[in-house]
Amino acid sequence: MGIIVGYIATLGIYFCIYNILSIGLNIQFGYAGILDFTVITFMAIGGYMAGVASLGPEQPGSQIFYILGLSLPWPVALLIGATAAGLLGCAIGLIALRRLRSDYLAIVTLAAGSIIYGLVGNNSKIFDGFEGLVGVPQPFNGVLGLNPNSYALLFLGFAAVVMAVLWVAANRLRNSPLGRAMRATREDLEVAEAYGKNTYKLRMMAMVIGSVYVGVGGVLTIWYVTAMAPAGWGTSETFVVWAALIVGGVGSNGGAVIGSFLVAVLFNEVTRFLPGISSDPSLIPEVRNICIGALVILTLRFRPQGVMPERKARFPELPEASVRQEPAIVAEEV
Amino acid sequence: MGEAPLLEVDGIRKAFGGVLAVDGASFTVEAGTVTALIGPNGAGKSTAVGIIGGALAADEGRVGFRGDEITGLAPHRIARRGLIRTFQISREYPAMTVLENLMVSPMNQEGEKLATALLAHRRYRKQERELVLKALDVLADFGLYGMRDEYARNLSGGQKRLLELARSVMADPVMLILDEPMAGINPALVSHIGEHILRLREAGVSFLMVEHNLEVVERICDHVIVLAVGRTLARGTMAELRQNEAVVNAYLTGGGVDAGTAR
Ligand SMILES: Nc1ncnc2c1ncn2[C@@H]1O[C@H](COP(=O)(O)OP(=O)(O)O)[C@@H](O)[C@H]1O
Ligand SMILES: [Mg+2]
Repeated sequence: MGIIVGYIATLGIYFCIYNILSIGLNIQFGYAGILDFTVITFMAIGGYMAGVASLGPEQPGSQIFYILGLSLPWPVALLIGATAAGLLGCAIGLIALRRLRSDYLAIVTLAAGSIIYGLVGNNSKIFDGFEGLVGVPQPFNGVLGLNPNSYALLFLGFAAVVMAVLWVAANRLRNSPLGRAMRATREDLEVAEAYGKNTYKLRMMAMVIGSVYVGVGGVLTIWYVTAMAPAGWGTSETFVVWAALIVGGVGSNGGAVIGSFLVAVLFNEVTRFLPGISSDPSLIPEVRNICIGALVILTLRFRPQGVMPERKARFPELPEASVRQEPAIVAEEV
Repeated sequence: MGEAPLLEVDGIRKAFGGVLAVDGASFTVEAGTVTALIGPNGAGKSTAVGIIGGALAADEGRVGFRGDEITGLAPHRIARRGLIRTFQISREYPAMTVLENLMVSPMNQEGEKLATALLAHRRYRKQERELVLKALDVLADFGLYGMRDEYARNLSGGQKRLLELARSVMADPVMLILDEPMAGINPALVSHIGEHILRLREAGVSFLMVEHNLEVVERICDHVIVLAVGRTLARGTMAELRQNEAVVNAYLTGGGVDAGTAR
């Protein structure tokens, strides 16, 4: 019984985390049209920085090396992780967002991801290289000393609260004139610029805010798993987040939620139970990617706008009488 | 007309690789006028518009607006000074509604500040309501009210031209530069757009307008600037230009004018 509760809580936690990741990507790509092909790097930086902020100082002789080791309380560690991801987003934005071409951006994000992967993996002094961090302290656990299943439930509640806060903020952004201006840059960068929008600043904001979201997702991940190593942040993880957003509906936060559930939870887990797979666990990741890939292709073919598409902007209802009516001029093309 | 001109273009030059698109063009636009910019295809009209609006960097020359130099400013800074330009091919925000297309335009909206957008959405509600009212009014003026909730990509070619004007009006411009605002639309709508332009001029907006249709130019434009191979060939009223042999020749050799085709 306890095992099942723990398992379901774990799924719920992954659901919350993937939700945060795909809403972050939605702010970057869905709102502002920024092709971020290295979602996972922001997640890793957020997780690592929160990890070294909450871990104690490295032990001489333990052969585990990392920077900082500040034993900070979790809210500060969360802040550090989120800030680090935001700064990285800013740095990549400085390189990539000056140019107007979106393919350029895609290439820069991909390259930055590879460089950071190599840098972190091969440098054992920063985050212990390819070995990665282990034994990261979990929030509340030191005080409460819960058994793993109860802790999973507690953490689920915690992750759900974080998700809810970020969800509300993302929707406020979406519905605001600022979100509208971001969408205009997505639709036509040059035109938005010609109508007085500082498109560089707008896209930089979307880039940084989205990176912060993804970074927070990374912090939650390292706290729940208590470990993180470069091997776990390959491009296929970025692909899962993209798949969730595409299947759910680009531009729509509700779509990001549905997509996270369908792709990251349902498909990720169900593939585990496919007949013939359970006997050969090494096949799981491959089959999983094939299934998710197929789902993306089917979505793009049959419902390109996603399960829950971006909805039309709503405006305050105004009394019809306050607007002068005029018969529409017939405006036909020649 | 003792005052300084509203827009001053002085010796702008721009090459694309080996092609000299604009080669030292100079002209001015007086406040309160509708000024036409005409010339054969490839004369450099769109390139000149791009340079004035800041989208293209000139190799040489300077642009002044309301007495200030705006050469080399980012396009959004130029727009914020009240100079709005449109594009030769209409470019709406396709996946946004018609009303939303208009709502993007007003400058410096309170809700465009991050803190206000996230933490104090009540603070911009009043302004938002006022802008919606204004936008609906403008849509009614342009006969697009019924389309307000439609995605802009679903409009017809003519309606997109109207949307472009409506969206520009929402930006409260001092001056509008229109690059072939009537290209590819039916004659009834051409005169309709002409009336809108004259109405806006009465409301105090000045215009520079690239246009091939000389009848339209004659009817609504106060001054005409002729551009040929990147240089200012002549300027004056349409009647004056009809007497100008160089202008007639540029058109005869340039071709394509009466057809009203656009590059
Ligand atoms: N981005 C560009 N790259 C290369 N050549 C260009 C570009 N834009 C315009 N040109 C060339 O510059 C010349 C002027 O073009 P344009 O300004 O569009 O003329 P117009 O608007 O008067 O028809 C043409 O010969 C055109 O081919
Ligand atoms: Mg042109």
